[in-house]
Amino acid sequence: MVRASLTAFLYGLAALGAGSVSRAAAADARTDAEWTMPSRDYGATRYSPLASISTQNARGLRPVWTFSTGVLGGHEGQPLVVGDTMYVVTPWPNVLYAFDLTRADYPLKWKYRPDVSANAIGVACCDSVNRGAFYLDGKIIYNLLDGHTVAVDAKTGRELWKTQIADLGSGETVTMAPLVVRDRVIVGASGGEFGIYGWLKGLDLATGQVMWTVHNLGPDADMGVRVDTFKPPYDSGANLGQRTWANDTWRRGGAPVWGSVSYDPELDLIYYGTGNAGPYNPEDRPGDNKWTSSVLARRPGDGLLVWAYQFTPHDSWDFDATGTMILADLTIGGHTVKALVHFDKNGFAYTLDRASGRLLVAQPFAPENWAKSVDLTTGRPAVDPAKQTGVSHGNVKGICPSLEGGVSPASPPAYSPRTHLFYTSTNNLCMDYLAAHANYLKGTPYMGVTSPYSGGPGGYLGSFIAWDAARGVKVWENKEPFPNWSGALVTGGDVVFYGTLDGWFVAADARSGKVLSKFKVGSGVVGNPISYRAPDGRQYVAVYAGIGGDWALLSGDMRSDDPTDIRAPADFLKDIARHTSQGGIVWIFGL
Amino acid sequence: MRPLRALALLSVASIGLCSCARQSAPSATTGVVPPAVRYQAHLAAGGTPPAGGTLTNPHAGDAAVAKQGALLFTTMNCDGCHGGDASGWVGPDLADGRWRYGGSDAEVFSTIYYGRPKGMPAFGGVLGTEGVWTLVTYIRSLPAPADVPTESWVGN
Repeated sequence: MVRASLTAFLYGLAALGAGSVSRAAAADARTDAEWTMPSRDYGATRYSPLASISTQNARGLRPVWTFSTGVLGGHEGQPLVVGDTMYVVTPWPNVLYAFDLTRADYPLKWKYRPDVSANAIGVACCDSVNRGAFYLDGKIIYNLLDGHTVAVDAKTGRELWKTQIADLGSGETVTMAPLVVRDRVIVGASGGEFGIYGWLKGLDLATGQVMWTVHNLGPDADMGVRVDTFKPPYDSGANLGQRTWANDTWRRGGAPVWGSVSYDPELDLIYYGTGNAGPYNPEDRPGDNKWTSSVLARRPGDGLLVWAYQFTPHDSWDFDATGTMILADLTIGGHTVKALVHFDKNGFAYTLDRASGRLLVAQPFAPENWAKSVDLTTGRPAVDPAKQTGVSHGNVKGICPSLEGGVSPASPPAYSPRTHLFYTSTNNLCMDYLAAHANYLKGTPYMGVTSPYSGGPGGYLGSFIAWDAARGVKVWENKEPFPNWSGALVTGGDVVFYGTLDGWFVAADARSGKVLSKFKVGSGVVGNPISYRAPDGRQYVAVYAGIGGDWALLSGDMRSDDPTDIRAPADFLKDIARHTSQGGIVWIFGL
Repeated sequence: MRPLRALALLSVASIGLCSCARQSAPSATTGVVPPAVRYQAHLAAGGTPPAGGTLTNPHAGDAAVAKQGALLFTTMNCDGCHGGDASGWVGPDLADGRWRYGGSDAEVFSTIYYGRPKGMPAFGGVLGTEGVWTLVTYIRSLPAPADVPTESWVGN
């Protein structure tokens, strides 16, 4: 009750017109007990200050509650905890559950079942995932796979508004978690494999009305660029999103938004990454192809672009940059820097100045060979010509990382202000890349590649690492027999949590990586752990089990739900089905 | 790959990609009776299946048409969902001898022509009857395994 009144008080302040930044700060400063937005805070740190579970007692963690979602798709994303309620969003059909944390068995308060088109299952490139909901102003806001954003009354489960934001018929689906800043709901669409014209939209929190739409590529007029206010650190001139493409190839050039969005209230900037350029044969689209595989910084109020930086110019490897942009203040060379840290699919971890977009550090965090280094003065990677792909290059062999990424953008890292370290899953896969010309046909895949994977160097397929982003060095690494696909959580007790693809949920010492406890959760973990304090005053950790999120992971006997669709195991993951199978479960652990 | 793709496009043109885009129904459908759909998912009340029109593949078993269909499978981006060798990706495996919506020529025709509810687009509008039959001929030419193996790790 105390918590509820405090919340009401904060919103009361906001309603009285306390100003835009303080309202944002109020949303960010909800109690330690809660987890009200996808990455817990606007900086996307996934750090919970709770410290009851510590390195001293974490070995005593045990499961205290489980819930089968009844859904088989890959369970990415994470639950929310707001006051005394836990909210869970499932993969398609995007059911929203609200659980009462005040009662012993966490009974259901209500369940919201939207009517979501089944066609979306086949249009989503890589499984029918959902990356979570956002809570603000008494509303649970999340996206439906078939291209809608909904706001649901957090108390009653009643639908408040539902807005179509994406066009399924053009290959757009929506898997990302929205970010709400003040009265703007920020959303984007997946579809980099369908030749979409990628965009970001700002909806009105109260009504769901689309207030602005800006594209991630194309002419300045479409991109929300004003030449006097757009200051990219390494580029200049008008219409960069159009001039860096041949002819009108930008019209179907991709740049989807399927990760998360973060926000700096002081700079009043939102940050998000864009996905791959399409089609997959880079020779069909000569040029840098801005702003695919990039980070964009925009004003949340009107969507205006302030700066942009491209991690992978002329993407030739499906290196989406949709992984999380984590905002942290770091000490670099004796100075405190307002930094942005990003672990890219391309295998490099980037540390940028988030006010200007200037590059400070760029070092590989996973095995990679497509670029020798990244030049800090020009911002450009030194691409190995032997790893350049395209129809004229034939079958280019042994490119690392694979197009699954040095880390999947669906596996968000965490940052601890106590250890000053970043924590992330990694994949150690390489690929061959045989490009082919692609034929654009609306509503069908626009790809043109054959890209088989193989294990990377070292005999392991993934790991979980701690990373010093001020220096660009790995501090510790726990190697795994399979690619690691879960998000990370780090706590005030200096415990870091992650899951593995073969279904272990792991608690480790954030300073050393030493495993403190682990438990087999019934299906591979591709979700993101969260921590909260329940009404009983105790700290808990919750995570989804439920392998999926990429069809490569579901090859072979992983699936048992469709008797008419039986596939051979993937070469690079031969015996994964021996260790896990599909199925969504919410797990809660406590002492 | 360039000449290959040119050939594929030529094939599409030769089967009338543009000219039959406006065609409204498969020409082989008889009268007002819809085509017969008798796959497993449809149970007949009273044990009596309804009357159904017939659809006959004019190219059944024609290896040259199947080869043309293989090119069409790529040109129409079928491989983007079903995999380059039709062995499954987002969409199901088409070479495992098992079918969600029936595996006869007529049933596969219906699936491609009208689409299916989990994201399979209707290609009848863009390909027309002849184009769809060409694809059917290719898909039906894929050798189904005698048996679908079950994984065993015993002794591994």
